[in-house]
Amino acid sequence: MPRSSSTLVTQITSDGRGIQDFSVPITGAISAADLPLNPPSEGVRGLYLHVPFCFHKCHYCDFYSIVDALGRHEQFVHRLLRERDAAAEAMGDTPETIFVGGGTPTLLPAASWRELLAGLASSIGPGLAEFTVEANPETVTGELLDVLVAGGVTRISIGAQSFQPAHLQTLERWHDPENVARSVERARAAGLRRVSLDLIFGIPGQTVDDWADDLARALALEPDHLSCYGLTYEPNTPMTIRLRRGDFEASPDETTAAMYELTRHTLALAGYEHYEISNWARPGERCRHNLLYWTNRSWWPLGPGAAGHVGGVRWKNAPRLSEYLESSGLPPITDVERVDADGVVGERLMLGLRLIDGLPLGVIDELLATGGRGSTRAAAIAKHEDAGRLERANGRLRLTETGQLLADLVLVDLI
Amino acid sequence: MPTRNFSIIAHIDHGKSTLADRLLQATRAVTAREAREQMLDSMDLERERGITIKASAVTVKHHFEGEEYELNFIDTPGHVDFAYEVSRALTACEGALLVVDSTQGVEAQTVANAYLAVENELELIPVVNKIDLPAADPDGVAMEIEQVLGLPAEDCIYCSAKTGEGIPELLDAICRTLPPPRDPVTEKTRALIFDSHYDDYRGVIVYFRVFDGALRVGDRIRMMGTGRTFTISELGRYTPQPTKLKEIRHAEVGYMVAAIKTLDDVRVGDTITIDHDPAEEALPGYEEPKQMVFCDFYPATSAADAGKKGDYEDLREAVEKLHLNDASFTYQTQHSEALGFGFRCGFLGLLHMEIVQERLEREGGVEIVQTAPTVSYEIALTDGTEMEIHNPAELPDTATIAEMREPIVKLEIICPNENIGDLMKLCDGRRGLFKGQRYVSDTRQILDYELPLAEIIYDFYDKLKSITRGYGTMDYEIIGYRADKLARISILVNGQPVEALSLICHRSNAEVRSRAILKKLKKQIDRHQFEIPLQAAIGGKIIARESIKGVRKNVTAKCYGGDITRKRKLLEKQKEGKKRMKSVGSVNIPQEAFLAVLEQGD
Ligand SMILES: Nc1nc2c(ncn2[C@@H]2O[C@H](COP(=O)(O)OP(=O)(O)O)[C@@H](O)[C@H]2O)c(=O)[nH]1
Ligand code: SF4
Ligand SMILES: [Mg+2]
Repeated sequence: MPRSSSTLVTQITSDGRGIQDFSVPITGAISAADLPLNPPSEGVRGLYLHVPFCFHKCHYCDFYSIVDALGRHEQFVHRLLRERDAAAEAMGDTPETIFVGGGTPTLLPAASWRELLAGLASSIGPGLAEFTVEANPETVTGELLDVLVAGGVTRISIGAQSFQPAHLQTLERWHDPENVARSVERARAAGLRRVSLDLIFGIPGQTVDDWADDLARALALEPDHLSCYGLTYEPNTPMTIRLRRGDFEASPDETTAAMYELTRHTLALAGYEHYEISNWARPGERCRHNLLYWTNRSWWPLGPGAAGHVGGVRWKNAPRLSEYLESSGLPPITDVERVDADGVVGERLMLGLRLIDGLPLGVIDELLATGGRGSTRAAAIAKHEDAGRLERANGRLRLTETGQLLADLVLVDLI
Repeated sequence: MPTRNFSIIAHIDHGKSTLADRLLQATRAVTAREAREQMLDSMDLERERGITIKASAVTVKHHFEGEEYELNFIDTPGHVDFAYEVSRALTACEGALLVVDSTQGVEAQTVANAYLAVENELELIPVVNKIDLPAADPDGVAMEIEQVLGLPAEDCIYCSAKTGEGIPELLDAICRTLPPPRDPVTEKTRALIFDSHYDDYRGVIVYFRVFDGALRVGDRIRMMGTGRTFTISELGRYTPQPTKLKEIRHAEVGYMVAAIKTLDDVRVGDTITIDHDPAEEALPGYEEPKQMVFCDFYPATSAADAGKKGDYEDLREAVEKLHLNDASFTYQTQHSEALGFGFRCGFLGLLHMEIVQERLEREGGVEIVQTAPTVSYEIALTDGTEMEIHNPAELPDTATIAEMREPIVKLEIICPNENIGDLMKLCDGRRGLFKGQRYVSDTRQILDYELPLAEIIYDFYDKLKSITRGYGTMDYEIIGYRADKLARISILVNGQPVEALSLICHRSNAEVRSRAILKKLKKQIDRHQFEIPLQAAIGGKIIARESIKGVRKNVTAKCYGGDITRKRKLLEKQKEGKKRMKSVGSVNIPQEAFLAVLEQGD
């Protein structure tokens, strides 16, 4: 049955700022209920909730989020819980991990959080191993933290990005760097033991010394997990448009590479394990939810713009808040794809090799035996081993240190 | 009935087409509505570029001093690339209107066209056009005409092709001052071909002027230059609607259809005679068109697909079809390692090349990748033989070359006084030989130079325009070949020579040009997993070098839930992109790199 829907039009104003979105009606949208899902025997392991609100739209960001002037937070939480109800049946068991991302989840007022967490209680079973909420430093209050902890949240991921106001400004992040330390302290005081910090390097104008300083300041807060991302110019973001227009220069590859090497070195010395290209954790503190992604497991998406993967089918909830709020049951979806056997092999290699430990050789053999291009892929693996980008160690195939910086060169040959 | 055969010649945009319309309208040959379209330029492309490419002829009537005159107006191409065609069209006339824009004054093509007319012994009527414009300076321009061309200022007719002012006086002047056609000099029939078109339905349409005798429908005719014979099935003239006739006589102008299948069978400048009763001698002045500028056309598809012939076949069809319409460009199959199968084409000049490219894309519906133009070179070998090459790749082993000669042009530039210094610097930098300088008026001068054609096709016109802020104009004519210190530069990528990138240039600027090319290449080739040396060499000697550092970083920072599909697609796209590149050794060179390097300018 065709449902009415709409398509997203993103408008970037001529100065490269001010993204607005308009909804243009289209018809014939489908929801996850229409998908031929065969949930895996192990069940759907993760639940991802997307909160599409931000205080300000950062110009490098391509996540779906809007600056909501209409005060739709409350309505959103209601709708999200109804969606969860509709999904619960398809999901089967309660999840092992819950991750609330955005957007800026902590932009929801404490009252909304209280309601959301109360509603989510039925999704929290004995098997829940991790419940993460993403936070922006300027929004983390003691009250909110108490609500989160009381509602079962076990982990917080704070978007620190940088400790230097100038670089934060380049990213259009407006928080006071001091807020990061305050947020960490408050989280700990509230009883959240697991704290992760997000940092960005390769910001235009940032030097290797600046970055060393950021790392030192982050380490001083003793997080048990760190995500360090090289700044990425996503297509269609205002920042990318300005880069192309020549408003500024991107950080040179040599500099960014040096920052990455420095990160690896510094964090290793500080006792962090490098476990994914951009992620480091103290022993036992790896993010289990994100590991679901990299090990190609199943998770269910909730909220507009959230993407999911269940039983070999990938889809995304339509990134349109108004339409999401108007829908009922499972919301309209988009970008549906059933990955074929060969595609699955490619994805598993692409994702698995992002992990620093790589994949067991047995799994590699099994993957090469599936799909139609085993010999091409085997040859590519051999080529990259010869070039020193892949190596075999402890019965696994993994990227070398050089290979970590050149991962895409390797993966392009394996997908 | 008294007859006048004339052309209009002018610098581009001075109002030739508009004036032609106005004349047709004044003689009531065209209605006002029809006149809105410029009648004589028939192709879209011409209208868009404001250039008249194909000549055709229109016959109109005008009353003058109690008599009805027949005016045959022969349209000429407006650019020097077609100098030979212009000159053939002019030979078909006794006079010409030399149109000069009263807001612009005498320009380079005004001078070149006027000389061409004088060489062909035509009577000129100087016409100062656009006098309706506030910026018009008709007296000043008339003085320029007198000073530069020696035509008395008081003979100038002032008019506005827009408002019609001065048009009746101009028509009268055509009847009064232009000479009547000469009398026949032989009993035999001789007609000059001054243009031809290809028509999908009727084959080739030939435009001609009868000098002696007459042509009739049913006549078996012979082309005296090519010796080919045909039977006339249709004769007529444009008034401007085509009007069929049984016969076209001495001094008249018309068209014929004679089941001629290709333009190759018809040469502009050739003489038509009657097959069973031929003239002894052809009319003078016939020449084979000579291609001076060469470039390659390739279908704009991936190098990976270049082996497949689909797009090449489409291109071939388009080239062959266009050649039916324009026999003055040449083509031959070419294979480039980098760009696959295509054609090496020869043109009369740069503009001709651009027009052909555009017509192939527009009319043939093919997308084209075009390499930078080169000129033709004459090579004298040590064994005493000579050869002509159109492509650096054809150059024989240096040891066997005694001398290399390149085409030289006579260049005339008209520019504001204040630009003279910079333009002389430009010409000197391009191996120009200063020949002279004259004043056009108090504010403008003519600069004469001799310069290698190769220097003109390399970004010269754009430089001239930017130096003079658009006010300078130029015109050139090829005057012959001259030996010089020319060398072939090979470009090596990762130690391997890349044939498609080699070029011929003068020893004196080989380093500069090589460095510019290597810089461009560096920008176009992605960093690889290793450092890539780029070198330019003459013989075995490296004259410039650059290097592309090895890639340091190529990794997607984030790859989470929603990104997985997208990330995979991005990688797939990269993979596709790689396929489209040409690999030289282990280096992938994108098609764009070949083009950027071959592009003109620094
Ligand atoms: N104001 C004015 N404009 C004119 C006159 N004659 C031609 N033009 C304009 O000048 C431009 C060039 O004219 P065109 O006949 O195409 O020049 P051609 O390149 O010599 O054939 C066109 O925009 C005409 O409308 C004129 O007498 N007065
Ligand atoms: S706060 Fe985060 S999600 Fe929101 S716009 Fe900025 S980077 Fe994007
Ligand atoms: Mg014209």
